[in-house]
Amino acid sequence: MPKVTINDRTVEVETGTTLVDAALKVGVQIPHYCYHPRLSVVGQCRMCLVDIWDRGRKMPKLQAACSMKVENDNWVVRTDTPEVHEAQKGMMEFFLINHPLDCPICDQAGECGLQDYSFKHGVAFSRFRFEDKRTYPGRERIPLGSNVILNMNRCIQCTRCVRFTQEIAGTAELGFFNRGARAEIGVFPGKPLENHLSTCVVDICPVGALTSTRFRFAERVFYLDKKPSICTGCEVGCNITVEHRRGKIKRYKPRFNPEVNDYWMCDHGRSTHERYQKLPRLAAVRVRPDATGNGGFHGGWKEALDLLHRELRTADGGKVAILGSGFLTTEEAYLLGKLADAVGTSQRAVAVEPGPLWRIPNTKGGVSGTEAAPNRRGAELAGFIGTSAGADAEAYLTGDAAAAADVLIVADSDFGAAAHDPQVVARLRRAKRLIVFGWCDSPLAQAADIALPVPTPTEKDGTFVNVQWRLQHFVAAFPPPGQVRPLVEVLADLLARFDTGWSQRTAGQAFDRLAGENPAFAGLSWDEIPAVGVTLNVPQAQAAGSAAAASVAQEI
Amino acid sequence: MFEKVLTRNIHNPAVLTLDGYKKAGGYAALDKALKLEPDAIIEEVKKSGLRGRGGAGFSAGLKWSFIPKGKKPKYLACNADESEPGTFKDRLLMEFDPHQLIEGCAITCWAVQANTCYIYIRGEYTKAAAILEQALKDAYNGGILGKSVMGSGFELDMYVHRGAGAYICGEETGMLESLEGKRGQPRVKPPFPAVVGAFGAPTVINNVETLCNVPHIIERGADWFKAIGTDERNTGPKLYAISGHVERPGTYEHPIGITFREMLDAAGGMYKGGTLKAFIPGGASAPILTPEHLDIKMDFDTVAKAGSMLGSAAVIVMDDTTCMVRSVARLAKFFNHESCGQCTPCREGTNWMELILKRLEHGEGEESDGAKLLSICQHIAGNSLCALGDAAVGPVKSLVERFMPEIEQHVRERKCPYPHRRYFGNGA
Amino acid sequence: MSTLEPQVEAPTLPAEVRAEITELRTRYPTAEAVLLPALHLAQKAAGGWLPDATIAAVAAELDLPVAKVYGVVSFYDLYHQHPVGRHRIRVCTNLSCQLRGAEEVMEILGQELGVEEGEITPDGRCSFIHFECLGSCDTAPMMMVDDDYHENLTPQSVRAILQGLK
Repeated sequence: MPKVTINDRTVEVETGTTLVDAALKVGVQIPHYCYHPRLSVVGQCRMCLVDIWDRGRKMPKLQAACSMKVENDNWVVRTDTPEVHEAQKGMMEFFLINHPLDCPICDQAGECGLQDYSFKHGVAFSRFRFEDKRTYPGRERIPLGSNVILNMNRCIQCTRCVRFTQEIAGTAELGFFNRGARAEIGVFPGKPLENHLSTCVVDICPVGALTSTRFRFAERVFYLDKKPSICTGCEVGCNITVEHRRGKIKRYKPRFNPEVNDYWMCDHGRSTHERYQKLPRLAAVRVRPDATGNGGFHGGWKEALDLLHRELRTADGGKVAILGSGFLTTEEAYLLGKLADAVGTSQRAVAVEPGPLWRIPNTKGGVSGTEAAPNRRGAELAGFIGTSAGADAEAYLTGDAAAAADVLIVADSDFGAAAHDPQVVARLRRAKRLIVFGWCDSPLAQAADIALPVPTPTEKDGTFVNVQWRLQHFVAAFPPPGQVRPLVEVLADLLARFDTGWSQRTAGQAFDRLAGENPAFAGLSWDEIPAVGVTLNVPQAQAAGSAAAASVAQEI
Repeated sequence: MFEKVLTRNIHNPAVLTLDGYKKAGGYAALDKALKLEPDAIIEEVKKSGLRGRGGAGFSAGLKWSFIPKGKKPKYLACNADESEPGTFKDRLLMEFDPHQLIEGCAITCWAVQANTCYIYIRGEYTKAAAILEQALKDAYNGGILGKSVMGSGFELDMYVHRGAGAYICGEETGMLESLEGKRGQPRVKPPFPAVVGAFGAPTVINNVETLCNVPHIIERGADWFKAIGTDERNTGPKLYAISGHVERPGTYEHPIGITFREMLDAAGGMYKGGTLKAFIPGGASAPILTPEHLDIKMDFDTVAKAGSMLGSAAVIVMDDTTCMVRSVARLAKFFNHESCGQCTPCREGTNWMELILKRLEHGEGEESDGAKLLSICQHIAGNSLCALGDAAVGPVKSLVERFMPEIEQHVRERKCPYPHRRYFGNGA
Repeated sequence: MSTLEPQVEAPTLPAEVRAEITELRTRYPTAEAVLLPALHLAQKAAGGWLPDATIAAVAAELDLPVAKVYGVVSFYDLYHQHPVGRHRIRVCTNLSCQLRGAEEVMEILGQELGVEEGEITPDGRCSFIHFECLGSCDTAPMMMVDDDYHENLTPQSVRAILQGLK
């Protein structure tokens, strides 16, 4: 493999590595705008200019590091010469002369490429004092589609967005129009930017030219706490960052995972947190008076769990049913399975709604999902259900199975659109006793005899198993409100009432126990789950792997 | 007495027909070339010292030798985009002697083993394009092009491809993009067109005038070619397009290296006997020269040593009624208009330079403007993606370096000191 | 341009234009390379400019994304996205022509036609714009009317040329 020396640090890289990437390997950040590791190289912004010595002779001009690919051992590169610094200052000046001073009202402030490089590589004053800035009248806040708004005055013409729609999304709605100083990005009239990855252009835009309709003016980014997590929109399980301010989620952004979602996520996934604010929150333990048997409930978790325990103990085991959902973490599903075993019922199902096809591109053929929940597979593998989950759930949602149940536990008050459908709720209500765990005070929770508040996916620790049979784990981004307790902990308390030896009370402890018992998870431990996740050693994973390889081969 | 080479046929309208061209000696060189080894032709052209006539002055033979052997397909793209202000020589060659160009292209294609040639002609040259289309048709009908060029078995297709109005499509990779049906935005180099050119294949790109020299080199030999001109690095006949304040603007063929004084005389001297103030030796991108350079040899190396460039040998002459600020402002406007917009220094820098020069010309100049223009030039030069940035810098930098007093006068007097306009009513 | 308007119906191009495009395809290894010639043909057939519908039709004909075609149309000076007069006048005002009276030609046109640069005369006959170097510097000042060059202009010759335009 060829070697290159950058600022006196030598590194060996794969043939064809660009200098920008090679520099990162030795901790040197070469500033750039138009370059992106997943997009074609255009060498346009000229921010990445560096000095290169080829076999001892300095190249007469500075070179754009993004377009220089290491093929041999000939190069010595410097990013800290006076010429490079002067060029960087010059480029920053050029970027800013026509750029509006919008920082006070621009979403991008705090994560803006111009701000950052201006501070690092630019100068602190402007020489553009006697001329008028170029503007694009009528293009200051123009919707390019339903998810993205353009302010053309702020654009630095890096064309990342155009190349994204052409090369990654494949939909090519964005184009580069006009020429020279009038050049602009836009869409053809009548063909707006509408593809399921459309908001990704907002992520890759270095400045505030492209803003997300759902995040516009929502929050200053420097007030956001950022925690890694996994998207719950579908079974692809894109890695995300939950960005919130004191527990109010302001946006999701994709988190880099080359094995799953690469740098991307879809618009649907980005919207999944909105319901946590929109829908009413179940934050307190609630028991219907007529369920207590003594005309009133005055208590908290302990009393509610005692009541539930009594109900389960006294019911005919075969007439207890547990309906989970694809939103359960693997650990929650595992414990529900244990509860079902303790009660002695085989009546278990997992509700998973179908969605449209979501396809997230990556360099290995991409990942696709059609289930609108992240973890049906985790529920399967953890032993809560067999492999024909969906059909079993239908018996409860559209059939009469609930009416035959003495106790029906629904472990998610927001398992899908059906949880808000009055007909479905009515059917489930026909169980003699309806117990609902959930974060949402949905009609289903309101109809329940016992409603027990548990966290949203961003308020708990857990693992999901995605469509690739990849195990990915996440921890709570922030603590839940009110009386909410993690479902794993609640189930552990409940199990302890059945089996005083039960000691696993956290997701981590539950996972480690699961790993010890279950061959699908053999050899794994909570503390050592890799950051990119790990493909489980199960036959379905083998099959999924060869299917993915076949689809990549087809594309090639 | 210098015998015309490239323009020998322009007063003979018969050469527009295939028969007429052949009668005038045409296609004998192609016939001869087809019997030579392709590499021998490349060597001969290299030996002749022919340097690109489109502006860059790169050795044509050397460029051809970069084309890899054995790879298929390969292309020749003839650069007939001729949009450099002051340049109109290629138009003359195409309108009056189209077969000379076709023959030059055919020989070049044989030398590099390219089976397809596109003549990329600027969209505004509708007449030249039509003449070329007709000449190509005649060439196909006469067996010069097609499945077997002059019966040799060598297959060659040649097409006219019209541009649509963009100076940047004269840049070789901008031209390739435009040929491929895209925005004419220059590409990052490397890879160079000899490796990845048109449609991903190795491509030679040469200017019209360069290609028109090829039949003559083959027919009369590299030594004959080398004997014309200044020295072994500046050889052959050259077309000079002279315009502006001269009595007889036009295209003149001289041995390369004729002095500017001689060229000016051949064009009838200064317009209406005016006094020379400045001249541009090689198109809008060339730094401006002054009367002290009257005896400069107009070849690549001498002009470069004088701090300018021969470029396309488009000579623009300005007399002492000319405002240099206004002239350079107009060129800055041109470069701003023609910038493709991809790269930051050119897109923003040419825009800024036009604004500053406009201010200066309209009496709103600031004392800092001259130094600022130089600083902007320094930030553009060498940093842009293609040579348009450097081209835009040429006139502006030379304005500040050679005509600073005139700039200062604009600033001091808050107006242009040369308000006289060439109006027909007052003797234009 | 309003980006959220309903989809423009893409009419097909006139049959002769499609036939010519089909013939041109044989000259190039890709369909995309036919785009510039195709736009010239489509523009001529559409009255000298390219309405959005025609652009969409060309994109459909060559199976190219319409935003890409729009990008090509807007890049080049010879493709017009707004209506033009029956006769399109382009006056070179670059340096060599500026040195020999191009500005006066522009003034005369404005006076004679009674419209500003870029506007169409009320009878739809003419529109004029300034243009960059047209490669005729030795015959400055000069202008291009439709496909023809008119060189060595004088005030009289400019007026005569205008009179000859119907």
